[in-house]
Amino acid sequence: MQPEELAKALAPVLGERLIGVETFVGTAGRVRFRPEAALDLFRFVRDDLGFRHLSMIGGIDWTGHREVFYVVWSDDAHQYAILSADLPADQPHIESATPVWESANWHERETWELVDIGFDHHPDLRHLLLPDGYAFHPLLRSFKLHEPEELEVKQRSV
Amino acid sequence: MSEMWLNMGPQHPMTHGLWNLRVKIDGEMILDCDPEMGYLHRGIEKISEDRHYNEVITLMDRCCYVAGLSWEHLYILSAEQALHLSPPERGDYIRTMCDEFQRIGSHLMWYAAFVQDIGLMTPFLYGMRDRDLILDLFQSYTGARMTYEYLRVGGVRNDLPPGFTDQARGVLDWLDKKFVDYDRLCLGSTIFRQRCDGLGVLSARDCVATGVTGPMLRSAGLKRDLRKDRPYSVYSQLDFDVAVADGADVTARYLVRMEEMRQSVRILRQVLDWLDRHPGPVLADRLPRWLGAPYAPQGREGYLLKRNYPKGLGFSSVEEPHGEAQAYVVNEGGEHPYRVKFRSPVFANLSAARHYLVGYHVADIPPIMGSVDVCVGEVDR
Repeated sequence: MQPEELAKALAPVLGERLIGVETFVGTAGRVRFRPEAALDLFRFVRDDLGFRHLSMIGGIDWTGHREVFYVVWSDDAHQYAILSADLPADQPHIESATPVWESANWHERETWELVDIGFDHHPDLRHLLLPDGYAFHPLLRSFKLHEPEELEVKQRSV
Repeated sequence: MSEMWLNMGPQHPMTHGLWNLRVKIDGEMILDCDPEMGYLHRGIEKISEDRHYNEVITLMDRCCYVAGLSWEHLYILSAEQALHLSPPERGDYIRTMCDEFQRIGSHLMWYAAFVQDIGLMTPFLYGMRDRDLILDLFQSYTGARMTYEYLRVGGVRNDLPPGFTDQARGVLDWLDKKFVDYDRLCLGSTIFRQRCDGLGVLSARDCVATGVTGPMLRSAGLKRDLRKDRPYSVYSQLDFDVAVADGADVTARYLVRMEEMRQSVRILRQVLDWLDRHPGPVLADRLPRWLGAPYAPQGREGYLLKRNYPKGLGFSSVEEPHGEAQAYVVNEGGEHPYRVKFRSPVFANLSAARHYLVGYHVADIPPIMGSVDVCVGEVDR
């Protein structure tokens, strides 16, 4: 599948909410969409385009905004596609992909705690890699490696 | 009986690393489970943002301590795409050789640890003994047995020493003979069969839904291997089969891994023959000096490049011994990557634990989790 075909397939479903499909070497393309289209896009990509496998979710802290990206794989086309949305830097959040891909669960927990991107309606948004109650988001650019931060760790409740 | 939560870990013979499997049990039955990760989180993605591109390779060895070279390869592929560089052909073949030896090494480590979990001591000693032969090979050309730091952006650090291919062929011949013994020790053992057959079943449908990849996915009958489906490096020029089984249980995962080792031997023979016939450079010339490369030509040219260097995004995906690993590297034109993101296959395989643990007995946990082949270093990163 080529980026043009991907754009043609997605345009009727997303309409205005599709920003564009860019070429990304080694994948079917990089789909840029508005965050409110999230669930519609995920369902369409999984059911109609065959990208049944969600490989990973990651976040990037850019100057002025944040990006969340999803890497999906199609067994029929043997191709990856990258779905990416820009979120505002102030309280960035997007709909959780867990109803569409169960595998999103842990990836979203990780992205939430490391890059501070909220996932609405996530079933179990807890810390995964960091201690409970950890107040920082280490993968933000504002978190500097060279200045040790004072941290307070709450006891884990069992 | 009353229900209770039981902590298996962070220190437990079953875990093979630092993590905690919380299981909710009623008597001997598992009702629910919740893997608790993060005990080994070192912030590798964060540290990478503060390193030169070549310095990140050091961290990759620490990602998975039994498959360091595979992780180096993963990162290198994606960094090269972001930096618009490519290696010479011989460098690419040497990387493939590293990958496959690493796959056998990792699977032997898994074999040793897994069979020991279910009470067979002899295979453990056999597995560890034969893995040492592979570590000896690594040592002869990387200088290290565990943290290799061998691959470089644009190729590999150095060529193979004289006589290496003959030594390697000797190891392959030995392994070929020993694989027969391994199977006889395990599949011929009643204890093994009774503790493994029909346990930890995860259907192909659940595998896809939960993002499970690698030997676990192939043991459910899905023929998916990135070396075939999306060939990277030189895999498209090599002849091999994808190992699959259809039991979807612990025994099926054992069979898949054993067959993978045999296929790796087959690949390695072809690669070694190619390396014998094609001498040449192993590292691209004219690499920008700001990569932190001591071997790059000095002069003003390199410094100029940095300012005008084009930005780029890199995405790579390799079939690591545990499954599909992915890397996403963002190059914003500086000396350091702007953002590095890794996908660990074990991360996804573990997140599906509820699907293959619930409904079995507490005593089944060691063989089931053993068959997942957990490597905590890459889950926590």
